[in-house]
Amino acid sequence: MGRFNKNKKKNVPAVNTAALPDIIFMLLFFFMVATTMKEVDMKVDVKKHGASEAVAIEDKDHVDFVYVGYPLDAAEGTEPRIQLDDQLALDYTQVAPWKQTKLREGLAIYELVTSLKVHEDVGMRIVSNIKEQLRSIDAVKINYSAEKR
Amino acid sequence: MARRQIEEINAGSMADIAFLLLIFFLVTTTMEVDAGISRDLPYKRDLPPDYVPPEIHNRDILVIMANSRDELLVEDKPMLLENLEAKVKAFYMDNSSGFDVNPEMPLWDVVTGQICQQKIQEFTTAIELEKDVKVKGYLKDDLDKWEKRKATFETIGAYKEISGAAVIQLKNQSNTSYGLYIDIQNILKKVVNDLRDEKCRELGWGEYRDLDVKEDTDKINVLKVLVPERIIEAKIEI
Repeated sequence: MGRFNKNKKKNVPAVNTAALPDIIFMLLFFFMVATTMKEVDMKVDVKKHGASEAVAIEDKDHVDFVYVGYPLDAAEGTEPRIQLDDQLALDYTQVAPWKQTKLREGLAIYELVTSLKVHEDVGMRIVSNIKEQLRSIDAVKINYSAEKR
Repeated sequence: MARRQIEEINAGSMADIAFLLLIFFLVTTTMEVDAGISRDLPYKRDLPPDYVPPEIHNRDILVIMANSRDELLVEDKPMLLENLEAKVKAFYMDNSSGFDVNPEMPLWDVVTGQICQQKIQEFTTAIELEKDVKVKGYLKDDLDKWEKRKATFETIGAYKEISGAAVIQLKNQSNTSYGLYIDIQNILKKVVNDLRDEKCRELGWGEYRDLDVKEDTDKINVLKVLVPERIIEAKIEI
């Protein structure tokens, strides 16, 4: 008859955590949908300028990014520098060879977009040099990165 | 036969796995959306040494100059950034009636099917006769422009278009800030988008910004012909 005996001591029932994974998964899916992968570790500070006509870049697979800004590492000086992938470029003449390594199967170089992410205080000389580099290899599609306002 | 009770799977560690995934995504992703203004640079052209550039009329070119102190000079007159939009709009639209209303702004031409046909014929024969591969390519670009005009004519009939020579020239100096440059590019884009939007509504196609890049290519091409975007950039001198 012990089977029906009630314990004298009353235990606090364990909190039911069965729904916990569901909640976490929900959060997970939210972040998967709402965010995008980081492309690179930033070596330069880029403060983007706002523009009302900026349009979101649709297919990121065809886009390469050139960053121009002030180095985050003080040892690199205070002059604006160009960042290609994960490294600071020595000067702008590296842009064209770099872009040529970015060719993709079945796409001509003039179909690939180069997005310029430039700090708003940087002078136009460096930007103009980069554009001239890209033009010299027919990589003519440019996107001036700006904050959508 | 007695049914055996299937033991419940222990889902206690499921939450841990989900947490792990969640943290991975938190670390490797950003919320930031990449947006920007798209432009096509002009192709580099090797012009033959005997090339004579076409005569450019003052009225066909709008010069926007930004100096190292971020001041604007439009057609050699100082201008505030907030007045630039009206000026660019005037450049496009002042003579849109087809009459010479404002002698400082570009004229508009009437494009008919006959003109398109004639030009396409001219360029096709020119391409056939041309031997230099490069020049052939340039001629093909010109032919392409007339093919697009013809397509526009076929969609909406004879139409008026801003002079083919009309162009906006941007001039910068070494220390012109990129922020100001973006502001100028944004204004140029805004004027063009607004005008295309106007045309788009006139034609009963709804809003220009709502057109789908993939599905409404024909409509977008027509609007691009009606409101062309021609920007040239001068070399930075100082």
